Amino acid sequence: MDGEIFRLPRERLGALVERLARDYRVLGPVRRGDSVGWVDIRPDTVLALDYRTTMLPPRQFFAPQREVLFRFRRGADGSFGFEEPPSQEPLALLGVHGCDLTGLRVLRSFHESSCRDRVVPNRLDRAFILGLACWTPCLDESFCKDMGSLENESPAALYAWDLGDVLLLKVLTQRGREILEVLAPAAATAEELAQLRRRTRVRHETFPSHLRFAPEKLAAALEAAQDDILWEANAERCLSCGRCNLVCPTCTCFDVCDQATLDGSTGARLRTWTGCQVPGFSKIAGGHDFRPTRTQQLRYRIFRKGKYMPERYGMVGCTGCGRCIHHCPTDISIRDIFRQVGA
Amino acid sequence: MPQVSMIPHPCRVAAATAQSSRDVHYVVEVPARSFAPEPGQFVMISLPGIGEAPFSLTALPGEGAPPGHFELLIRRVGRLTNLLTRVRSGGVLYVRGPYGRRVDWEPFEGANLIMLAGGLGLAPLRAFVWRALARRREFRRIDVLVGARSPDELLFKGDLDTWSARTDDVHVRLTVDAAREGWTGRIGVTSSLLEGIKVDAHDTYAFLCGPPVMYRDCLRRLLAMGLYENHLWLTLERRMKCGIGLCGNCQLSGHYLCQEGPLLSYREVRHLREAV
Repeated sequence: MDGEIFRLPRERLGALVERLARDYRVLGPVRRGDSVGWVDIRPDTVLALDYRTTMLPPRQFFAPQREVLFRFRRGADGSFGFEEPPSQEPLALLGVHGCDLTGLRVLRSFHESSCRDRVVPNRLDRAFILGLACWTPCLDESFCKDMGSLENESPAALYAWDLGDVLLLKVLTQRGREILEVLAPAAATAEELAQLRRRTRVRHETFPSHLRFAPEKLAAALEAAQDDILWEANAERCLSCGRCNLVCPTCTCFDVCDQATLDGSTGARLRTWTGCQVPGFSKIAGGHDFRPTRTQQLRYRIFRKGKYMPERYGMVGCTGCGRCIHHCPTDISIRDIFRQVGA
Repeated sequence: MPQVSMIPHPCRVAAATAQSSRDVHYVVEVPARSFAPEPGQFVMISLPGIGEAPFSLTALPGEGAPPGHFELLIRRVGRLTNLLTRVRSGGVLYVRGPYGRRVDWEPFEGANLIMLAGGLGLAPLRAFVWRALARRREFRRIDVLVGARSPDELLFKGDLDTWSARTDDVHVRLTVDAAREGWTGRIGVTSSLLEGIKVDAHDTYAFLCGPPVMYRDCLRRLLAMGLYENHLWLTLERRMKCGIGLCGNCQLSGHYLCQEGPLLSYREVRHLREAV
């Protein structure tokens, strides 16, 4: 069954959701107004499988924007008792594009190489991911083909191509096989497979190439551009708003803060997203700031994605999703920077 | 591998002494679990509901601190430290750690040691001095060079007096940036204390902790004295939020200082941007 391609009539999607709901909290892309985001779905929920990139990447579910590390309660003797929250229920995430699949791989490689913490890798281990092929670029700013994300199918358990009335599904893991078996899908027809081949070929031609070099060359290209005027040229219009950090599928930095009731008797310690572009991120004791200028901060972000992450975790930290460019209020483009330093 | 808990351990404060108008020196009982820190390591100190921050260990159990105790210096600079410094003897601080790199002291055996501290940098550096004195016979000449903005801002005056009184080739020199009448000591930046110090350049290690400008001045002088780059140890303190290589706040280029530091040799960081 592995690698084999099955057909699932579109009206059977609900049955797949129903099967997943037995073991998972199921999330899928749903249209709300003019945007699409992953929300909890039921078998009869209308999925926006033709969606363009969501604003927030799937990491929001594995390393949430705001998460309780532990709760505390002051006892009668004045001392505090602590309690960690129960572990998150397993998630099924449907319709994840190649860029975001890559983002989940980067998330895993970061957590597994950087520290001993297993919280996020455990969540990824227990999750069920349904990958979804893109037929057209999501955003003008995306460059997923250049970053090798367009055709990435890992870590999906099942990978889907939307042919309209029917979804073609490839089984990638044992778990994917188990879930699909219940639906007893038929094999894709010869005609459907031919259509898949044709559309995949056209897709490769439809997605533009922006970079004239392989992502593996980024680290060396950035190293050579350390003192480039390019950093200043971009930083001049940076507002330090930090949107690029928040929408990035591979940003992982967080702040830790406490919240308590007014009398301080109960509360929680939380981790919340922050980022290297946010003012104060690099401030240290005595009011010193070891990365005080926007030029340094911007260069740091780009270096982290293109140099530090591949050097440390073996994967480039940019998936080419284009979110940080699309959401930047002053049009700072990591794609242009990569293009310029790599030329 | 296990999940890393962020839950702190309650530790009783054995003594809390004002060091200056804004610095409090704490002697704290070690947590009820294995706790064997090395100089240069740090702990996360918190009060539930208020917040958490990293603090260098200023003395280790049995080395400057009484056995079963460690010491901290907490400066009142913001909301958290305002409340932390209200904790008195008998009170409780919540502790995680120790975190950070454990540096092997064996290479330093038989060498001269130069300990350089500027301002609040004496807090972490004090643990190095007490370690060296606890193992006095393992080292040759020890220089302790301490700078502060003014005589009032000199920290750990009791220790400085104790160390100065030693006659076993331990040399303490102090300087201040500026002083009013009455100060008979030296006036000048911390690095100026290195003037006239003659040591065997092959066999001398230096440990530095202070503000960024001090690192640059002192490194210039120490390198001019002929010391090796891998003999110069810096403590690169950052505002760690997790201590376990996860939150990213302490990143220096690709390095997480909460794990690979804060103690690093100059050779390890000389090529890195934004190190010193």
